[in-house]
Amino acid sequence: MNDHEKRGFVWKIEGGNLLLKLSKQFYEKSAVMNAAYKFTNRCVILIEPLEEGYVGVWFKAKDGQDSGIIRDLLDDFCNEVLDQQVRLDLEKRYGSLREVIVKHAFQPLGDVSKGK
Amino acid sequence: MNNHQVRYLIFPFTFSRMPAQQLLLVNQAGEFIFISSEDFNSFINGSLNIESQTFLDLKSKHFVTDTDRETAINLLATKLRTRKRFLRNFTALHMVVVTTRCNFRCDYCHASSTSPEQKDGDMSLDTAKKVVNIIFRSPSPIIKIEFQGGEPILNWNIVRKIVEYAESLNRQVQKGLEFVLCTNLTLVDESILKFLKKHQVMISTSLDGPKELHDAHRICRNGESGYDLFRQKLELTRNFIGGNRCSSLLTITKSNINRLSEVVNEYLDLGFDGIFLRAINPYGRAKSGWEKIGYSTEEFLETYKDTIDYIIQLNLKGKTFIEFYTALLLQRILTPFSTGFMDLQSPSGAGISGAIYDYDGEVYPSDEARMLARMGDRKFSMGNVNRDRFEDIFSGTMIHKIVQNSCVETLPGCASCVFQMYCGADPIRNYVETRDIVGHRPTSDFCKKNMGIIGYLFEKLRKNDDDVMDVFFSWVTKRSLEEIQK
Repeated sequence: MNDHEKRGFVWKIEGGNLLLKLSKQFYEKSAVMNAAYKFTNRCVILIEPLEEGYVGVWFKAKDGQDSGIIRDLLDDFCNEVLDQQVRLDLEKRYGSLREVIVKHAFQPLGDVSKGK
Repeated sequence: MNNHQVRYLIFPFTFSRMPAQQLLLVNQAGEFIFISSEDFNSFINGSLNIESQTFLDLKSKHFVTDTDRETAINLLATKLRTRKRFLRNFTALHMVVVTTRCNFRCDYCHASSTSPEQKDGDMSLDTAKKVVNIIFRSPSPIIKIEFQGGEPILNWNIVRKIVEYAESLNRQVQKGLEFVLCTNLTLVDESILKFLKKHQVMISTSLDGPKELHDAHRICRNGESGYDLFRQKLELTRNFIGGNRCSSLLTITKSNINRLSEVVNEYLDLGFDGIFLRAINPYGRAKSGWEKIGYSTEEFLETYKDTIDYIIQLNLKGKTFIEFYTALLLQRILTPFSTGFMDLQSPSGAGISGAIYDYDGEVYPSDEARMLARMGDRKFSMGNVNRDRFEDIFSGTMIHKIVQNSCVETLPGCASCVFQMYCGADPIRNYVETRDIVGHRPTSDFCKKNMGIIGYLFEKLRKNDDDVMDVFFSWVTKRSLEEIQK
């Protein structure tokens, strides 16, 4: 069992801050950013590139918070970033339909204003 | 590829994980469905059996189609247009502050009222006429003029003049014209009530619960019990104009937050047909006295849930009584119809659905923006009726900025939220909390409150208890529970 496996999802620990390493093969920038945004009320987050093909997400406790809280957030974050990636995948496949539907929905209003 | 793996077209939707390994999916038309996490995985991977009940349910609600794409897109577009119909009623609600004076000095007053002697906060006749002229430039086919204060009756002459002038202008344009007087009722007399009845003015008053709770914060400047006077005048009002033209608003404070069942009973005893469980916002005196009257969003949500359960039980015992905010949200969730509600719209209703005219002619997009100005920050002023034209006020940079920054479809944190179709944005509240009208969803109390309430309602819908559903449908359809259960 290597160091990584011993710490669960945590890749590195530095001064109580935890690093999560995500593969770019599965997670895109937007998914990581959207997931990180949702956690900005619970901790401080820094996103940085790691070696080729990976992105790192640092989690730091907010001032006055026990750093132990960070470890509890990781499970939620991992699921959140996965959900965000699923949303992106769906958006890529079917998102253009959203524009078609909105355009179609409000087309008659455009016609009315032209007629005035 | 076998028969069960025919390709299908998925329409855009948002989703969220729910208890019991289920997911909630909501599409662009606001239709929702609960499916198991196993079905969800098959669905998005394109391998859901098209003969399964789940697929047929998804198809009937326009989450997917395996047949006629054009028809499905047409239906989705029509439903979306219906939901957003409120956008066509550009500025229907016009709130007019005829005076800042009040005979009460409530310690939670958002408007920071002044004493009855201080007449420099009264609207003049000249300003009042200009306000009405601007109101009638609104393209909305419905015009609702709501008199606010202070206590509007302290400047009764201007209320009367506005009603009469608006009616005279309306003879030409024939819009749906409605009036609402927001009053503590304590100053009404027979001549005022006769006028209100003649001109079909609705009354919106305030009641915070039984005597002890009502008098805790609604403080009469002369030291008398506001509650006793309120009861007398409520009876007089009902005798004159009838019960159904008078509704009441509740303000939840630290005093009554844990006693809302008593408050509901009081509303029932006094003949009101419902209640609006409204959390107090940190404006005006409420902000400076927050320690004494405020509470956390978590406390509000707990009490909201308990009180909704209590009200549902009352309905099941035969007492027809509605919680109006829940009814509004259920209407959004369970019906395809448009439900404009200024405080919960996308784009925000501030300015485009409603506007408020201060006593000095300044125009603000919402009452909260006016309160902010009273506290010294005039950021949201849209203009002044004494100086500016309708076009300057309602097509100015402030309105554009509010609309651009209050579409939940594009706001960070809202854009992928599963409740997006039922929720809205409050740019002024965002500004109060973060000094930025876009706001920060993860720390927003507005977001936490609405996520909590809508999430709670969806949990009820997921559990699908027959009795609870019957009560909900009676609220949405405005029919009695007896009729629903026939």
